[in-house]
Amino acid sequence: MKISGAYRLSLPQERAYALLQDPAMLAHCMPGAERLDKVGEDEYQMKLRMSIASISGNFDGRVRVADKNPHQSFRLVVEGTGKIGFVRGDGLLRIAAEDSGSNVTYEGDVQVGGTIAAVGQRLLDVTSKMMIKRFFDKFAEAAASA
Amino acid sequence: MIPQSFDYSAPATLKEALAQVSSGAKPLAGGMSLVPIMKLRLAAPEQLVDLGRIPELNYIRKEGSELRIGAMTTHYQIESSPLVRADCALLGETAGRIGDVQVRNVGTIGGSVAHADPAADYPAALLALGASLKLVSTGGERVLAAAQFFLDTFTTALDPGELIAEVRVPVSSGAGTAYVKLAQPASGFALVGIAARLVRAGNRIGSAAIGVTGVGPKAYRASEVERLLAAGKPTREAALHITGGIDVNSDLHASAEYRRHLASVYAARAIELAWSRTE
Repeated sequence: MKISGAYRLSLPQERAYALLQDPAMLAHCMPGAERLDKVGEDEYQMKLRMSIASISGNFDGRVRVADKNPHQSFRLVVEGTGKIGFVRGDGLLRIAAEDSGSNVTYEGDVQVGGTIAAVGQRLLDVTSKMMIKRFFDKFAEAAASA
Repeated sequence: MIPQSFDYSAPATLKEALAQVSSGAKPLAGGMSLVPIMKLRLAAPEQLVDLGRIPELNYIRKEGSELRIGAMTTHYQIESSPLVRADCALLGETAGRIGDVQVRNVGTIGGSVAHADPAADYPAALLALGASLKLVSTGGERVLAAAQFFLDTFTTALDPGELIAEVRVPVSSGAGTAYVKLAQPASGFALVGIAARLVRAGNRIGSAAIGVTGVGPKAYRASEVERLLAAGKPTREAALHITGGIDVNSDLHASAEYRRHLASVYAARAIELAWSRTE
């Protein structure tokens, strides 16, 4: 499933670029993230508890930052596996200066499999979008107070 | 499949149920969404409180200019109620289009509203009607407009420990209403669902309220369409604005483009049908 979108941040481009890769920020802002531990350069192990509608489940996964092009773009790869299914997301984030802030555009591919995908087909798109929006909302809030 | 084991209780009063919910138990209404996901083991609540044996949550009555409907009233009870048919036909028509007869016999209005599925039928009607919800917890009660209740996909203003006790809908006097939907054949969920409520002013539309479900991340009021209709624009022209400003859903049943088209066609149908029912 292809996803794309944009989000405006009232942060300078350089700061947005740095914070979007900051593990403490990622752990704080990813919906359901419980912990994020560094396992290598730009690579982290993640524990996540997803909870939506009445569905809930634990995921163990990895987050990787790749293809870094300082202050302009990088790739974020997120993988998670749990009893209720698996999720894999691979997206390119572009950060552009805009007025006093910056504009983040993302484009990527999300794959969801297992039981959640089998029964939740009609909801994958709408819930993925919601999770991404939640991430950015929380990110903008946390960045403003950081 | 068989769900993971859980504790179950079925209190006879709301007070007992609230005490259990406030200590972390998961409320069970009709179970039309919760039980299947428990069987698939997508959810494994440790304790369920069945609200189905609480008589004070199951009623339909008229109070002043409102219909008050207990949260555990089933879709079938609403669909078949003479009071609902006479005073708020839109809600009855909407209830009658939910899922299939088995679901309508067991599923409840409170359960559906609390679940907040983005393709559920009631939210469109509740928004078009300007309904409100009475929410209760051990700490007290509050009344919230439906427009303030549905926050996002599967996300509502319900706090932990809080339950919907009652749905309140204003009595429709003289308005023409209609709910039309295109149901996904297997699930019965709305690919597009449009609830329209029109008030006639002479030979034209005086005011319009249009609720939309199944199209965006949550149900919404199509305020641009309402404005155009009240300004005298032709129905089909106004209906083209039904998805204005909305990030339209896309899934394997309907792409965003197809859904956008369906929404304008169904909006026009709902408006025409509601108009034909105005007095």
